[in-house]
Amino acid sequence: MSQSEDESWLPKPSSRTAPFFEAASEGKLRLQCCDDCGTWTFPYRERCQHCGSRSIVWRDASGRGTLYSHGLLRRAYHPRHEDRLPIVLAQVDVTEGVRLSTNLVDVEPGAVKVGMEVEVAFESLPDGGIIPVFRPVID
Amino acid sequence: MNHPMNGAGAVSGLGMTEMGRVYRSAIDLASEAVYLAIDDAGIDKSELDGLLINTGITRGLDLHLHVALGLQELNLLTFMQGYGSSAGQMIQYAAMAVANGLAKNVACVFADAPLVDGQRTGASYSGGRRFGGDALSSLHGLYGFTGAIPMFAMAAQRHMDLFGTTRDQLGQIAVSQRAWAGLNERATKREPITLSEYHDSPWVVEPFHVLDCCLVSNGAICVIVTSAEQARDGRQPPVYIRGFAQGHRHDTGQTVPDSAIRGPGSRSASRALAMANASLGEVTQCQLYDCYTYTVLVTLEDYGFCEKGEGGAFVEDGRLGPGGALPTNTGGGELSSYYMWGMTPISEAVIQGRGQAGERQSSNDLIICSGNGGMLNYHSTVVLSPETAS
Repeated sequence: MSQSEDESWLPKPSSRTAPFFEAASEGKLRLQCCDDCGTWTFPYRERCQHCGSRSIVWRDASGRGTLYSHGLLRRAYHPRHEDRLPIVLAQVDVTEGVRLSTNLVDVEPGAVKVGMEVEVAFESLPDGGIIPVFRPVID
Repeated sequence: MNHPMNGAGAVSGLGMTEMGRVYRSAIDLASEAVYLAIDDAGIDKSELDGLLINTGITRGLDLHLHVALGLQELNLLTFMQGYGSSAGQMIQYAAMAVANGLAKNVACVFADAPLVDGQRTGASYSGGRRFGGDALSSLHGLYGFTGAIPMFAMAAQRHMDLFGTTRDQLGQIAVSQRAWAGLNERATKREPITLSEYHDSPWVVEPFHVLDCCLVSNGAICVIVTSAEQARDGRQPPVYIRGFAQGHRHDTGQTVPDSAIRGPGSRSASRALAMANASLGEVTQCQLYDCYTYTVLVTLEDYGFCEKGEGGAFVEDGRLGPGGALPTNTGGGELSSYYMWGMTPISEAVIQGRGQAGERQSSNDLIICSGNGGMLNYHSTVVLSPETAS
């Protein structure tokens, strides 16, 4: 079955997670934040990991961060990856204090280094959906 | 002052099935391991009054294992899950139970059967072709975070970028353990490997080659824990449970702690050694959870065998291998021998503690065992010795 025929892997946002994907389609990174203590969080939570409050709201994040670590995916386990290897896997510490597992794009794998400054970018999916990824900040 | 649990419990029985591409159910394998352990301990099935159960990725066991075993008079029965830290945890709860009269003979059993005939080796661990689900969860597969390999590979990469740890140094861990596996008739991979062969093995997620990653095995291991007094009358030389502790945390969402390069093992090991009234310098061999080469390196650092960041230099001279100063994973470990989650280090420690390791027998005065689950999130430490507390 080809990728275009099997799209069961595409994200299907629910009312809980839709703000993340709506923001991406607007070119923004939106994450949950505690309205009481200000702690940001990802992935979806009903209660603040820090203070326990249930006052969790979605807020636009800066979209900037530093690279916590990286790896180079050399085997395709996912239908989307079959013609795209290698893919730079990345953990990004966004300035709001959340660590995101994502991809780093627009970069030579050999040039990727822990601590580099990165910013959010966006990729399209076959169904028109948009997801955030990151790319190096070019000064 | 001596801790009351230092040497209060002991391992009196060990049962190990054949391990590898053994196409049998986890329940069948677990049952065999329990019967083997009962026989090894020299007790009757009617004397088994405690059962702690843990299973792996395919969740092939549950609380009902006691039904398959026909156990009607149990005083202790629990299904546990702490991933790779579970085996060490089971030993700990069993030791506390026998020391406090809850039970006399507690079987701690792990079984799993992730290998399916005709299916690729890692299929059960990478989730096969099942993607989708909750929208945010589906992002993981979409970005390429499938199974545990990507997260551990990135953890190793951070160590390399921050401290200059090299691919040769990670490779030396695989080479040393394969050398040990050559001395273990139970090991799945016994052919020696060179650093060059390590570098030539296929990439999975850089910096990890296939040879940085543990095996996948079907099989079961059971350990029977009893009181020190009773173990002295057993069929096998007692291996005393001298110290133990756990440490747990999560690495989800927040940028603190520096979870890739510091695990909860430091807290766990220092408290386990304190219970054993021993110092790290008295440890004569290590049996460390080695889901990846890097897990060994970071555990050696967290335990304090070397400074944080110096693990690469610590292992590169073959210190961990046969003839090295700190024999580690002397059965070949999860990388080369068999992957029974936390029972891999525990089983080898029992064999070594009894002095039954044959050609690979190493100084066994004080053996430290680690168990790791999640992305360095769940940790257990057990200190074993053929000598009871002095």
